[in-house]
Amino acid sequence: MAKKNSDCQVIVVTSGKGGVGKTTAVANLSTGLAKQGYSVVVMDLDIGLKKLDLILGLENRVIYDIVQVIEGECTLRQALVKDKRFPELFMLPAAQTRNKDDITAEQVVEVCKELRPDFDFIFIDCPAGIEKGFQNAIAAADKAIVVTNPEVSAVRDADRIIGMLESADFRDIKLLVNRIRPDMVRRGDMLSIEDLIEHLCIELLGVVPEDSGVVISTNRGEPIILNDKSSAAQAFSNIVQRMQGIEVPFMTLQEDSFWGKLRRNLGFGR
Amino acid sequence: MFEFLKRIFSDGKPSSRSRANDRLRVVLTHDRVGSSAQLMETLQEEIIALIARHMEIDGTPEVRLISEGRHSALDISIPLKGR
Ligand SMILES: Nc1ncnc2c1ncn2[C@@H]1O[C@H](COP(=O)(O)OP(=O)(O)OP(=O)(O)O)[C@@H](O)[C@H]1O
Ligand SMILES: [Mg+2]
Repeated sequence: MAKKNSDCQVIVVTSGKGGVGKTTAVANLSTGLAKQGYSVVVMDLDIGLKKLDLILGLENRVIYDIVQVIEGECTLRQALVKDKRFPELFMLPAAQTRNKDDITAEQVVEVCKELRPDFDFIFIDCPAGIEKGFQNAIAAADKAIVVTNPEVSAVRDADRIIGMLESADFRDIKLLVNRIRPDMVRRGDMLSIEDLIEHLCIELLGVVPEDSGVVISTNRGEPIILNDKSSAAQAFSNIVQRMQGIEVPFMTLQEDSFWGKLRRNLGFGR
Repeated sequence: MFEFLKRIFSDGKPSSRSRANDRLRVVLTHDRVGSSAQLMETLQEEIIALIARHMEIDGTPEVRLISEGRHSALDISIPLKGR
């Protein structure tokens, strides 16, 4: 394994509310960074409800899981699943038939400690909720990415999570807004990025638009970031650049409809 | 002109986005300090009663939860009667 950086960033991807796009974000950002040559490992801590293996298309390669590592049934190396596409990307699978109480935060910290010397990035895919699974997922992380959707219930949960991360002394908490629909924002029917930042008061990492391609790429088990024609892929690629310290302007999310273009060209709208 | 057309075709209701923002502002402020609209009412009543025992209140007192970034504060405004 060739590690590029001397240090290792452990990043938990969390949200409070379920189904907002945590696993999708983990799969795409880890793939994007591995494509840039970084050594990356993704840890699925959604024990009992695993999905990351499916989204990465690695479900047939899973032999062991993190609970077996912790219980000493196999070594950490044996449990790591190598990605099909990038030799520097690995997944530590969750156990499907166990539950979140079967591991402790200290054990997760131990596993991360063992991984740190060999990787540039460790992503932790956090389960929904604020219970044990969340506590386990944040225990080993240095940084957090909070994923939310432009929707009141998701924002309320994100705010709760940010409060809990701050209480746990997280200094680096960034916001990823997923599934935004610029047409709806423009019509006044969806919270805008500015609205979300005003409510949550944290730094923006990126904005990923609603994109039907995400479902298609999930069906195939190929992260959408590998399909450069999609708008979500472009958004994830921008985030990957920002994570490497490269400044990339935030996408101007313009609607692509004929009327939208016409209106803009005539100088109406903003 | 576009704004004018927009006004004609909209039904005069505030947009769902601005409703969402208003509701979030209130709910997040309460969530962060573990308060509620009812608690604010109780606080207001008790604070007014306490002050009224010692001073003469004039006008409409107000007890509000305000927030600046992720920090919150109680904003108490009690107009008093001069002599
Ligand atoms: N930008 C997007 N556009 C369209 N669909 C999306 C987008 N992001 C995520 N989805 C879809 O939303 C669903 C939930 O995504 P995902 O599993 O990543 O969320 P999650 O937060 O990990 O959920 P859970 O809390 O259950 O772990 C999936 O079906 C996914 O395909
Ligand atoms: Mg998930």
